[in-house]
Amino acid sequence: MDSLVIEKSTLWTVNATPGKRVYGEKTRRFASIEFRKWDPYRSKIAAGMLRTQHDPRLLLPHPGSQVLYLGAGHGTTISHIHDIVCGQENKNGGRIVGIDISPRCIRDLLGLAKSRPGFIPVLADARKSTWEHTIHGQVDWLFQDVSQTGQLDIFLDVSSKHLKPSGRALFSFKMASERWSDEAKTTQIDAMEQRIASSGFECNEILNLQGFEDEHFLFVISKIV
Amino acid sequence: MWLVFDWQAAVVVDDDGQIIDDLKHNGFLSPRDIVQRIQSMKNDNLTPEAHELSTRFPDAKPRQRHEFENPIPDFPEPTKEQNLRFDEALILETTLEIQGESGHPDRRMEHLLRLSDELRSSQITLENRCIEWIGDVFPYAESASSRTDFLRKVAGCETIESFCSTFDVEVPTHDVPQKEWNIMAATANQAVKEKGDVDRIEHALRELSNQYLPSVSLLLGPLLAARMCVEAHGRERLSKLPSGTIQVLGAEKAFFHHLKTGSPPPKHGHIFMHPWISHSPKWVRGKISRMLAAKVSIAAKIDAFEGESWTEEDLEKITRRVEAIRNTRRKPKRKR
Repeated sequence: MDSLVIEKSTLWTVNATPGKRVYGEKTRRFASIEFRKWDPYRSKIAAGMLRTQHDPRLLLPHPGSQVLYLGAGHGTTISHIHDIVCGQENKNGGRIVGIDISPRCIRDLLGLAKSRPGFIPVLADARKSTWEHTIHGQVDWLFQDVSQTGQLDIFLDVSSKHLKPSGRALFSFKMASERWSDEAKTTQIDAMEQRIASSGFECNEILNLQGFEDEHFLFVISKIV
Repeated sequence: MWLVFDWQAAVVVDDDGQIIDDLKHNGFLSPRDIVQRIQSMKNDNLTPEAHELSTRFPDAKPRQRHEFENPIPDFPEPTKEQNLRFDEALILETTLEIQGESGHPDRRMEHLLRLSDELRSSQITLENRCIEWIGDVFPYAESASSRTDFLRKVAGCETIESFCSTFDVEVPTHDVPQKEWNIMAATANQAVKEKGDVDRIEHALRELSNQYLPSVSLLLGPLLAARMCVEAHGRERLSKLPSGTIQVLGAEKAFFHHLKTGSPPPKHGHIFMHPWISHSPKWVRGKISRMLAAKVSIAAKIDAFEGESWTEEDLEKITRRVEAIRNTRRKPKRKR
C-alpha cells in the first residue's frame, strides 16, 4: 500500500495516528484507510511536489530511511514525512531527526514525538555541531528550511558531511533572509546553482514556490560523491 | 593510533584503520543512563569503555565517533533494542533541556512581567466599567478613599438597599433589577480580586528582580529593571547592549521612524518611567536619560557577570549627577 496518494492537485498521506490530526488538516478515507491532506500552502515540500516537472515521489524519502530535518518548526511538514518514512507505530523502521533552535517549537514537537515513534526532536542550532551525535552515520535524505542568512552555507556544510553519497536533499531557500533585489534575483539563483554544483552536488531542479510561498525556492539536490 | 568511541562502544584503531582492540557495553543502559553518557561526552569526557581502553593503550588519541573522519566498517554497532533506547534517551535529553530552559530567571521574569501587564490592563478596564456604572445609578454616591476600597464596599452589598444605607444615598427612583445589581456586585468583587492578584504578581516580580538584577534594580527600581531585562531578551543580552540602545528600548516605533524619515530621534523609551526623567522638566530629560542609560548599561554588566552589586553610596553619586544636570539648565533654551 502506497503511503502517498496524489489526486489531481491534492496530496494525501496515510495517517500514522488514525483519528488524530496534527494541525487541523482535512482527513478522509480511501478504502478504509485514513489519509491526511497535505496542504501546499503550509508545507514547502508539498508545494514543491505540485510544482515539479518530474514524478513528485522523487522528492520524498523512502520508507524506512534515516532522515535529517533542519528547521523542524511546528511539525506540519514533518508529520507528513513521518507518515511516509515511519508509518503507524514506526512499522517501516524509519528514523527522523528534527532539529530546531526554538524551545517553543520543540515543545510542540515533543508532543508529536510521543504519538509518532521514530521521530526525534532535538533542540540545537543547525550551524553548530552539538546535534551531530543524534544521527547514525550518514542520512539518506535531508531537508533544510532555516530562515537565516547563510542558508546555503549551512546546507553545504551539513550535507557534505552528513548526507550519504547519492543521497537526495531538498533545500528550501527564503529570499527575504538574504540580501537580494528583484533585478538580480535570477543571477543570484544561478550563482547559487553553480556553487552547489561545484561543491560535489547536482542540482536536479529549482522550483519557484511563488503562489504557495512567495519569494521561496526549493532546490532539489543529489549528492554525487 | 586512535581511540574512537560512541555512547556504547569503543575501539582502538591503528593508522591504517585496522581495529586493534574493542570494548562494548553489554549490560542494560536505561535512557537516563544514556543521557548521562551523552552529556558527559559533550563535556569531552571518556565513557567507561573508552577509559578502560585508554588505560590499555595510553598512546591512542581519543576521538568521538561522529568527529572521526574515516569510517570504521567493523565498529561494534548497537543492537536494535539499544538503538531504540538511544532514541528514547535523545527525546528525554530534549525534554530535560526544555525544562532546564523554563527554570531560567529570564523566562520566569518574562512570564511574570507580561502577566502583570495583561492582568493590570484587564483590572483597570473592569474597575472603570464598574465605577462608571455605579456612577450612572448614583451620580452623588461618595466614593471612599480609594477606588479599590469603594469597590470592596460595593461588593459587600447584597442588595441595592444595603448599598444605599452603607453610602447614605437615596434609593434610585427607577427600579434596578436584583439580577443586574448582583452582576454589578460580582464585577466589583472581581475587580478587587484582580487588584490583589496584580499586587501579588508584582511582589513576586520585585523579589525576583532584586535578586537577579540587584544593581539595575537599585538604580531603576525592581519593576522597571525587570522590564528593561525582558525587553532586552534577557540579562546577558541587556549587558551587551550599547547604552544608546538601552536609552531608546521601548521606543522602537519612534526610533525606526527616525531612521526612515529623519524625524527627531526619541530621547527615552521605557526608561522614561523612572521619576528622574518623567519628573524632570522637559528640556533636561534627554540629558538625564542618556546619563541614566549609560549607568544602566554598567549596572547590567555588574549583574550579568555577578560582580559586587552597587550600594546606596553608588546610587548617591548618581543622584548628585542628576541634580547637577537639572541645575545646568533651570529654564528652557530660548528658541531662536
